[in-house]
Amino acid sequence: MARMKFVCDAERCINCNGCVTACKNEHEVPWGIQRRRVVTLNEGQPGEKSISVACMHCSDAPCMAVCPTNCFYRTEEGLVLHDKDKCIGCGYCFYACPFGAPQFPNGASAFAARGKMDKCTFCAGGPGENGSEEELKKYGRNRLAEGKLPLCAEMCSTKALIAGDAEVLSDIMRERVLRRGYGAELWGWRVAYGDGKQAQRGQRVHAPEKP
Amino acid sequence: MSRLIACWMRRVGRCTAALLVPLLMVTAAYGAEVGSYRGGRIDPQAPAVMVVPQGHNAAAFYDGVRRSLYAPGVTSIQTPEANVLIQSEGNTWRQIRNGPITVWGGWLILAVMVAITLFYLVKGTIKLHEPTTGRKLLRFTVYERLVHWVVAISFVLLALTGLSLLFGKHLIEPIFGTSVNAALLWVAKNVHNYTGPLFGFFLVLMIVRWAKDNLFTSVDWLWAKKFGGLLSGEEIPSGRFNFGEKFWFWVGVTVLGLTITVTGLILDFPLFGQTRQDMQLAHIFHASAALFMIAMAFGHIYIGTIGSEGSLEGMKTGYVDEAWAKQHHAVWYQEITGRRQ
Repeated sequence: MARMKFVCDAERCINCNGCVTACKNEHEVPWGIQRRRVVTLNEGQPGEKSISVACMHCSDAPCMAVCPTNCFYRTEEGLVLHDKDKCIGCGYCFYACPFGAPQFPNGASAFAARGKMDKCTFCAGGPGENGSEEELKKYGRNRLAEGKLPLCAEMCSTKALIAGDAEVLSDIMRERVLRRGYGAELWGWRVAYGDGKQAQRGQRVHAPEKP
Repeated sequence: MSRLIACWMRRVGRCTAALLVPLLMVTAAYGAEVGSYRGGRIDPQAPAVMVVPQGHNAAAFYDGVRRSLYAPGVTSIQTPEANVLIQSEGNTWRQIRNGPITVWGGWLILAVMVAITLFYLVKGTIKLHEPTTGRKLLRFTVYERLVHWVVAISFVLLALTGLSLLFGKHLIEPIFGTSVNAALLWVAKNVHNYTGPLFGFFLVLMIVRWAKDNLFTSVDWLWAKKFGGLLSGEEIPSGRFNFGEKFWFWVGVTVLGLTITVTGLILDFPLFGQTRQDMQLAHIFHASAALFMIAMAFGHIYIGTIGSEGSLEGMKTGYVDEAWAKQHHAVWYQEITGRRQ
């Protein structure tokens, strides 16, 4: 079975926010929630880099580890999805996620109660019937069930953001690195997927080494 | 007399320091661990902007981004902290919560429950030595009882719901399944969030009301030295509140209670620009203090109910029997009746 992953090639991203717009539109994401965003480092400096970031569907997901109701589940493709019917809106996944992926609708409510958590689904919907009206309303479109890849990556104009089977992505990146001679360091890869043995061991991500 | 009090205060100071120092060290260690990865902040030692090396060792740069060594990023997204590319402290918080707080906290609660059960089985209820006289003394006014019971009932609700949020995954879910656990926790979270402010408000009222009677006096030293005679069975004279009650009042109710209240309000009302780090730190202090307070509350509830004959009556009706007052609070008995034993 394929292991689905996201890769953002920081050498290619031009901060056009096409992925952000595609995601917002495809899933009709509510106001105040950004399932995907683009962050620019060293803006206006030589060596400026832009990176598109969303849920990385980590091998050892912190959101999953801290959820009091175990509303998260891992699909056969390695995606980290969640069940909004079991979410209690405690916000723990939001505190724990390194990438700022889980977010909460912040409407006017008594005691600032949070609604159900929302996050990137890798365009794979949620539990329940694939392609159903309920799934669309709660989680957005289930493109994976239709044999399509996430729209953010599909619409990326420079193909900086690519999504799909890890082995295919690795081949694409390897070829790019060979051609241009640098840039093999994939941002966020080690945090989300560890050293490659994480998935098999199911262990936590290593703490960062001291400089 | 004043010298005695001064000496006593020094002793109390030493005891409190001995207790508080390890507690503070533990919390400081937590704080330092989370604080060192503070996201979105510029490390004064690092250059404000570090240029990404073109084609060489970008991995080192991204590692620096992860540890928030450089200036935060820029994004057109308007949600709070959207410009923070990565926050590693989230995983630190996860390890502290799922590690020491859950594991040590769980063992602490279990150990206290076992200890009190054993104590009850060995020692049993502390009986009144003399028959009740039928003459009643006013111990708690209506206001005091009202405040106490609001705090007590809300505390029990908060403790049960709070513990279920921490341990439900390990205790409720394996037996009843994820759906039942999720439904219960949905109720628990809402009860917890709405009861919390009520608890905090009445807690402050209670502290204000009883602070004066809980100031330490010279007679408390004897009680502390003999552990209230709980083991030997002898009765140590004390004022309106004995040393055990005062210890619970200052350490449990005041220090831990107020810590829980303040951090609880930070967590309950995320409307004032709290960052994720603020929430993580607030949660660590909230959960740790709450577990200690619950452990101490077991002792308080035990001695106030089945542990000591006639104690519950005082908080239920407001009145205690003269025999009870003479036995447990001789100094107080003498003060209000003007009689010696």
